[in-house]
Order: sequence, then structure tokens, then C-alpha cells
Amino acid sequence: MKKVKIIAGITWAFICLILIIILFPGLNSFSASAAKLPFMKINPNYSGGEVAQQLIATGCTLDIRKPVFDGLIKKRNKGFVQLDWRGNVPDKIVDTIDYDLDNKPDFCIFVDRDQSKTVLYPINSKVRDIIISTPTSYGWAVRVELIK
Amino acid sequence: MQKKELMTDSLILGLSSGSSCLVTCGMVMFPYLMAGSAGVKRIAIDLSLFLLTRLVIYFILATLAWYFGQALFSNQVVRNVVPGILYIVFAVMLVWYSISKNRNQECPAKIVKTVNNHRLVPIFLGIVNSLGFCPALFIILTKGATQGTLIQSYIAFLAFFIGSSIWFLPLPLAGKIRKKEVLKTIGILATGLAGIIFMIKGITNLIGGIING
Amino acid sequence: MDNALTSSGMKKSFGRSLLYTLPMFLITFMFMTGGRPDFSRPASALAMVVTFLLVNILYFLMHYTGKTDKLRAILFIIFALSLSFTLINNMLETRNSMSFSQADILECKIPFCHLVIPMMILPAAFTNSIIFPGSIIGGFANIASMVVLWLVATLVLGRGFCSWGCFYGGWDDGFSRIRKKPAIKKISEIWKWMPFAVLIMVSLTAALSLIPTYCDWICPFKAVTEFEQVTSVESATKAVIFVSLFAGLVVVLPVLTRKRTQCSFLCPLGAINTVSNKVTPFTIKIDKKACTECFKCVEVCPLFALSTEGIKEGKVSVFCSKCGKCVDACSKNAIHFGIKGVPSGTMKNFSRNLFLFVSFLFMSVFSAGSIINSLQSLLNLIF
Repeated sequence: MKKVKIIAGITWAFICLILIIILFPGLNSFSASAAKLPFMKINPNYSGGEVAQQLIATGCTLDIRKPVFDGLIKKRNKGFVQLDWRGNVPDKIVDTIDYDLDNKPDFCIFVDRDQSKTVLYPINSKVRDIIISTPTSYGWAVRVELIK
Repeated sequence: MQKKELMTDSLILGLSSGSSCLVTCGMVMFPYLMAGSAGVKRIAIDLSLFLLTRLVIYFILATLAWYFGQALFSNQVVRNVVPGILYIVFAVMLVWYSISKNRNQECPAKIVKTVNNHRLVPIFLGIVNSLGFCPALFIILTKGATQGTLIQSYIAFLAFFIGSSIWFLPLPLAGKIRKKEVLKTIGILATGLAGIIFMIKGITNLIGGIING
Repeated sequence: MDNALTSSGMKKSFGRSLLYTLPMFLITFMFMTGGRPDFSRPASALAMVVTFLLVNILYFLMHYTGKTDKLRAILFIIFALSLSFTLINNMLETRNSMSFSQADILECKIPFCHLVIPMMILPAAFTNSIIFPGSIIGGFANIASMVVLWLVATLVLGRGFCSWGCFYGGWDDGFSRIRKKPAIKKISEIWKWMPFAVLIMVSLTAALSLIPTYCDWICPFKAVTEFEQVTSVESATKAVIFVSLFAGLVVVLPVLTRKRTQCSFLCPLGAINTVSNKVTPFTIKIDKKACTECFKCVEVCPLFALSTEGIKEGKVSVFCSKCGKCVDACSKNAIHFGIKGVPSGTMKNFSRNLFLFVSFLFMSVFSAGSIINSLQSLLNLIF
């Protein structure tokens, strides 16, 4: 028994040695495999959610994402919808948004990029307030607070 | 206060309260709720009765706290500032509890030993345990009192109940746990940590309350 | 023969030490250069040569002198400093600031570190997603690579990760070495359980709020990496907390106690690593026959892993990070690196050689990139 324990211990130690030696050369492929695991995606509360609609204007694209209400187990009552303007974004943005795809406008948004000023005009009572309005590397992003 | 935040805060409080309660009351409750010679079915019934009693008591407390809160905190300034101060005071008590060497080792549930009817024991234990006024319970009472609606007060107490009950679930297995002292220590430290969290929250609330007038 | 080692038994001759260093020399050469050293850019080449020499000289000295801890600490501290330097430099170059903005969060550009892992577990299980605004793959400090690195390291080294892999540990390790004697000697043992309380708290709060609460509110190392812009009472409170924790647990207390207080009393990942310490094959063993119970090892242990009772029973606790300080302090060589399953007091040299190779290889390759980067930046600044 004592010998078995010694052999098992040393074998495990040598397996660990091999693991460390292959870890760094194989890191890229191990990471790529790990990235494919089902939970390896950024929570929509951070990523902003999937793009639901894409409105294209001259030189500028507006991505309207799916509303995010994600909680730990069930949907939360409060959430947000993220809007991303990409490309050649004008200095003053005025857009009417239908985030729930019911063919009725839910809110109007006005962004003055130079003044860093954003004004929200809610139409739908579920639209509450602006959470974030910020310049980004791709243009401008806004998160609007919603309730269910 | 957002529902998410309310639930998180109350759950933390429950966790801290549960651990300190377990530390002081554990020894008295073990003989009643622990496996021992009793079967799993009896333990499950006793534990359910115990937890259900606690839940009922907490709902009563939630109702009382909210109604008193409506009367006491009707003034906006009082509503903004007093809870912050109470948070800090009770949080200090929570921290003091965790660092004090003279921590009260007496469990209020000892009184239950005098009850003869075995069926009533878990109910009495539940009542005494949930009314064992500790700093965490004072904080949750303050929280319940300052909620906008009665439902929110119930949510706070429900989360508090869940947090504190988690600690009791392994009780039937406690006799088999080897490192009780370690769990006890972690429980006390978690209590102190919760106290620090609520102290910071109290200070932030107080500053926010003063700024908002 | 291995059993009857004296205090100087771990020392090797110059030639043997060179021989033992040769595999490390070859492997680190391959990892650092990819087999083809590039001397076209002098600053980069010089930085690489210096790092390569530093790593291999330290490893050689570990064999030649028979000492472990001080030589390990040199690389460990340089790693911590260089990583903070690299991170800050990277942030200053990309954002002109050490603080991150809302845009950085929205674009998931926050570098990931292993301290987030304890808070990731419950939300990953329930929501099938990661609650961190970083990049899953690609980019600087991505989530997949850090998780793989930590998983393998914690499996192989257990809590040894805290002394051989953690790029924050070097900060309080460094400060704990400033004074020769501790000003505060009596510290209650119960505090070593605090990381478990922190772990419970941050795991639950993170799960409920879907916010990595430790990073958001507590992490002291934001002081030497990145932090949220101060724009409100809440963000100001957060700043006060992390600066105070850094000053207290990473600087002042380690200086006064000669202990790694942040690692011992706060780090939730350290708590998880104590669990993996049960899995790793490498351990510290006590040869009761050789032990004179002088308890010098207990005195020097920076992580409260040793106690007088434990030594008497020949037991080392799960808090051990295998830093080697106790091994170096023992004049009788009674406390030694070992392999689980192998009886204490036997195969001391073999166990040490194998452990040192595994742990030092991990640290040297893991740290090489940031050390080379920092040196290169410094050289570019000077010349």
C-alpha cells in the first residue's frame, strides 16, 4: 500500500510537470477551446445584448439591441435597451426608436455630441431614463432604462 | 431602493444574522433538530416547523416595522438621515459582536428546554430564535420601516429569512461535521464583514441623505 | 542517503547546479524567443536577454545555494511590479488614464484578472454567462486565457499559486520583507479564516447583483492597476475603500508584521486555492524525527500556515503556499518540500527538484512577458 501511494504521488507529480510544460505553448488552443464552453459569453448586462435591429443611414449605422432584463434566475423588473451609433456619426443625433418592434415609436432621443448632452423623450410608459450616454471607439452609445 | 439591491442587502443581513445565531444557539438546538436517534422524517418535519414559525414571525415583524415606519419617517429629512444613522449604529453593534471576546454565549432558546410537549419545541424554538434581537435584526427592522410599500418590506424580510435559514439547513448533519469550530469562526467573521458593509452603506446613505436634504 | 540530509543538504556543486539549470535554460529560451531570438530591435533584445538571464541565474542559485524563498521572492516581486507597470502603461497609452470610463465597460475592454474567478462561478452556473466587462478571447488579459492559466496552476500548485503565480502577491510579499523583525508579533489565528468569509460574501452578492462585487468595492490592487472614475459619492466611497485596503493590508500591516496580510486576511481566491491544495501533488512535509521543535518555521511563515500544535503533530495546514520560507529557516532540514504519498523525511532532494522545476517554470514563463515589456519601456524611456 505504501509503495502504491508513493508511485501514485510521483506519477501525479510528473503529470503536473507535463501539464505545466504544455500549458504555455498550448495556451492559445486551450483558451480557444475554453471560449467555446457554453457559459463563456459576456452577460448581456455588460455586453448590451444582441442586436435586434440595424438602421442604416448615410455613413452611419444605428444598432438597436434587444432589451436586457437578465437577473440571476429570472428576469428583473428593471432593465435597459442599448443603442449604438457606428461609423460617421453626426454631431447632433435625433432618432425615434421602436425597441419592442410593435411598429409604434417608444421614445425619441436627442444627442448633442459636442456638448455631451442627451435628452430622452419617452412615449411608451415603460421607458424611464438615460442610464449611460457616452462616446465610444466606434461612435456613440446610449443605454435607456426600461421597466417591464 | 431597487428591488435587486433590497434583496441583496437583506440576504446579506440574513446570512450574518443566521451565522451569529447559529454560533450562540447551535448547541441548544442540536439536541432537538439534529439527527441523533431520530429519523430523517422527524428531523425534516421539525426543521420545517421551525423555519415556518420563523417566516411567520418575520412577516409579522415586517408588517409592524412598515406601519411604525410610516408613522415615524413621514418627514423627508428624517427619512433620509435617520436610517443612515441607525444603519451605522447597528452595523457597529454587528462588528462589535464579531470582535468581542465577551460575545454572549447564552442562547435565548434555552428557555425551550422547559417545554415538555415535543411537537411544540420547534415552534417555540422558531419564535425565540426569530425574536432574539440581534444587530442584524435591528437593521432589517430599519430597512422594513423605510420601505415605500408593505410589499417591499415583506420582500426585505423574506430575503432576510432565506439568508438566515441557509445556516440552519445543515443542522441535522451538524453532528457529523468535524470542523465545527472553523465554521463557527467563519460565521463570526462573516457577521463582522456584513457589519462593515452596512456601516459603509449607512455612511453613504447618510451623506447622500444630507446632500439631498 | 537522501534521508540523512543536513541543513546544507540541498546545496549542490557548481557543475551539478548548472546541469539542473540546463532544462530550465532550454525551455525558457524556447518560450521567450520562440526558438528564434530577434536582435533587430536593440531595446527589445536587451530586455529579453536580461529577463532570460535573471530567470536562469535565480534558478541556478536555488540549486547552488539550496535556498528557495529569497530567490523566489526576487522574481515574484519583480513580476508584481512589472505587471502593474505594464498594465498602467497599457492603460495610459490606450486611455490616457488609470481610471476606466463607461465606454470601456460598454465595449468590454476591462482587462480580466484571476481575482474575478470566485465571483464568476455562481452566475456562470445560473445564467450561463460571465459577469465581467472583458473580452472572452483575444485582446489584452482575456477571460479564457486567464481562467485556463489559473485552473492549471491551481491544480498543479494548489495554494502554491499564491506564491509562485499570483501577480499581486509580490506586493505584500515585498512589503513584508522591509523590516528585519516584526513590530507586531501577536496576531489572532482566527483572521486567517477571513478570506472564506469574504469568499461567501462576494460570491453571494455577485450572484445576486450580477456585479463582480469584490472588484467593484474591495480589491486593493485597483490602486496599482485600474479603477473606476470618481464621479459620485458611491465611486468616491469605493476609491476610499480600495486605497485604504491597499495602504493597510498591502503596505502597512505587512511591514509591521512581516506577514502577507492581504493574502492571509482578504483574498477570496486564496480561499479557493486552499481547497485545491488538497489536490496538488506537491506539499510541505515535516520530518518529525529530525524536528527539534524550535518553531522557527512557525515564526517565519508569512501565511499563518504553520502552528506549534501542527508542527508537533507533523502537519502543515492547507494555507501553505509553498513559498519555502520555513524550509530555508529550518537548520535541521526537518521541514521540506515533499510529494503526497511519499513519506516525510524521504526523497527530500528529489521532491524539491521536481517542485522547483514545475513552480519556477510556471512563474518564469508567466512573468517573462510583463518583465520584458516593462524593461523595454524603461529602456525606451531612458534612451
